[in-house]
Amino acid sequence: MSTVTTDTLVAPWAEWQERFTRGRRLLEAGTYALTEGAITAGCRLFAGYPITPATDIAEYMSKRLPQVGGYYMQCEDELAGMHACAGGSLGGLKAMTATSGPGFTLMHDAYGWAITNEIPVVVVDAMRVGPISGITGAPGQGEFYVARYASHGGNFETIVLSPSSVQESFWLTVDAFNLAERFRTPVTILTDQVISDMWEDLFVPEGDDLDFVVPRRHNLMMPFYPLASDALDVPPNIIGQGTGVCVSAYTHTEEGYDIEAMEAQWAQTYRLVNKIRHHRDQLTRYETVGVEDAEVIAVAYGAAARTVKTAVREARGRGVRAGFVRPITLWPFLDELYARDVPYLVCELNYDGQLVREVMRSAPDKTRVHFMGKSAELHTVAEVVTALEGVARQGRIPELPYIWTQVR
Amino acid sequence: MNHLATKYLRPSQIPTKACHGCGIGMIENWILQSIEELGLKREDVIFGTGIGCVGRQTFATWGGDNFGATHGRALAIATGLKLAQPDKKYLIVVGDGDAASIGTSHLIHAARRNLGVTVICEDNMGYESTGGQFSPTTPAGYVTNSSPYGMVEPSFDPCDVVKAAGATFVAETTATQWHQTVKIVKKALQNDGFSFVHVRFPCNENFGAYALGTRDTLKNLEWIYEHTQGRKADGSETDFTWETGIKHDASNSRPEFTRILRDMNARVREKLGGGPA
Repeated sequence: MSTVTTDTLVAPWAEWQERFTRGRRLLEAGTYALTEGAITAGCRLFAGYPITPATDIAEYMSKRLPQVGGYYMQCEDELAGMHACAGGSLGGLKAMTATSGPGFTLMHDAYGWAITNEIPVVVVDAMRVGPISGITGAPGQGEFYVARYASHGGNFETIVLSPSSVQESFWLTVDAFNLAERFRTPVTILTDQVISDMWEDLFVPEGDDLDFVVPRRHNLMMPFYPLASDALDVPPNIIGQGTGVCVSAYTHTEEGYDIEAMEAQWAQTYRLVNKIRHHRDQLTRYETVGVEDAEVIAVAYGAAARTVKTAVREARGRGVRAGFVRPITLWPFLDELYARDVPYLVCELNYDGQLVREVMRSAPDKTRVHFMGKSAELHTVAEVVTALEGVARQGRIPELPYIWTQVR
Repeated sequence: MNHLATKYLRPSQIPTKACHGCGIGMIENWILQSIEELGLKREDVIFGTGIGCVGRQTFATWGGDNFGATHGRALAIATGLKLAQPDKKYLIVVGDGDAASIGTSHLIHAARRNLGVTVICEDNMGYESTGGQFSPTTPAGYVTNSSPYGMVEPSFDPCDVVKAAGATFVAETTATQWHQTVKIVKKALQNDGFSFVHVRFPCNENFGAYALGTRDTLKNLEWIYEHTQGRKADGSETDFTWETGIKHDASNSRPEFTRILRDMNARVREKLGGGPA
């Protein structure tokens, strides 16, 4: 049985990390990496409200931002936090906020405002176990769908990325800022308690030649909102330059006036949805191991992906041709990663089953998509190996304590 | 068109969608007069609004840059914006729902920080764009469409709240006091800090019709005027009195919030030996 597998990373930083080798080599936390990624990307405003396990990002930002001429704001609540970020971004500052589930819910008000008005902002959601306050210091992945639908009312697409290591938290944050600028939209970094709190090797590139950062540009003329257009790289609008730009919560005209007309709703929705859908090729980020010859493919993201990837290699050693798919871009969902007609084992840190439903929708045979949910603790390597063997040999996951396999 | 409208407003958005006899347009005219008397230009002022009658009728009327926030969050947005664009004047024109209910926490904390903005709270004493429900500024006992037996909650005065929170300029006026309002708004805009101006105005369609029993603009204005005097036209006492005028003036007495952050940044960078940002 072959144990040779190809390990593929498709993400812009696959190239960045080859090209940039001068900088600081550290042992640091995921929250530190997110902070440094933001500073490197040009973030100059952080406004938020402390919440476990995202609090350390706020603390690091309060120290780092004044050093680079930026502003740290500890707001009265998360509503104020993300609104202040949107306001700062409209004034020309690249902005970020960070929270966990309970605060993320409060940000949806501002999230929708930023989507509609095409305001670049980066939002970190460090997930923990829920619902509501749940277990504050334990890993969960309950906001997969919430991140997709981070506002009400429909008529929009969102961009959600998820890192699975400290180093990747750094690169992915730079990438998130770049995408926010290029797509003129908020981008969510969906991380979790494990990836935020854990310490690992971290390389932070330094120098004046960091050409991977997309700088802030300003749109100084009409149209402020290119309606019925999927154009990328339209510079964000700026308030304070006397352009006469209008920004609001309403369905708008290309000047930004509120309008109540079906045609205007169509034109705005075309813009908000298709600027993302039509440029999915710019949003493809994932990692795979050995999918080419796999007889069963394990799927996981974020913290869960770490033990699952190890288990896939372990299973290979034990004679199961296992493959591994780790979507880094969670939304828009990368359906193409599930094209092979083989059984899938979807491991995620919740009992209700979220990622698994999208894999079921994408895979050729949804009856062979198996759910392996766990909550408040990572899947162990042994559990995932047992499940991979079970799916490959008996077509089902053997009964395991605290593992949930029902999706309906 | 009135010369202030020509000079400062956006022709396509005038007249506003306000109901007949609404005080919002009149108060905006007075605000424009204050702006002109201070010699401010379109590009000097950023105009922010909220949701409800006041947000809907004033959003995008301003000819310069402007924003219409989600309900209650105009000050939260203005806080970030002021950090990015500190040299502008900010006129945050909101209603009683924005300022005294859904967004009160932002109002309190903007006052506490002494954020350099002028909030004009145009108060029609209820939620009129949703059909006339009571708000925290509806006088106790008055009938609205959600208080058919009389408003059972005590009302509250946003001026008291922002003063207690640390606002450096606080004033109260009404839609019956033209010159006083212009004078007050000018003073408010000259404070490099948090200014709050509370302006009561009549809603004829809802508050007037249900609480006061008339859609007659003059009668509704008269009811407001009487409550600033404490006496009705027939000489009898009103059920309560609004004390209008400047409530608190500590203009320019303490540093503006974003100035404090900029000064701190300069100190941190100097210590690090770094250059300008």
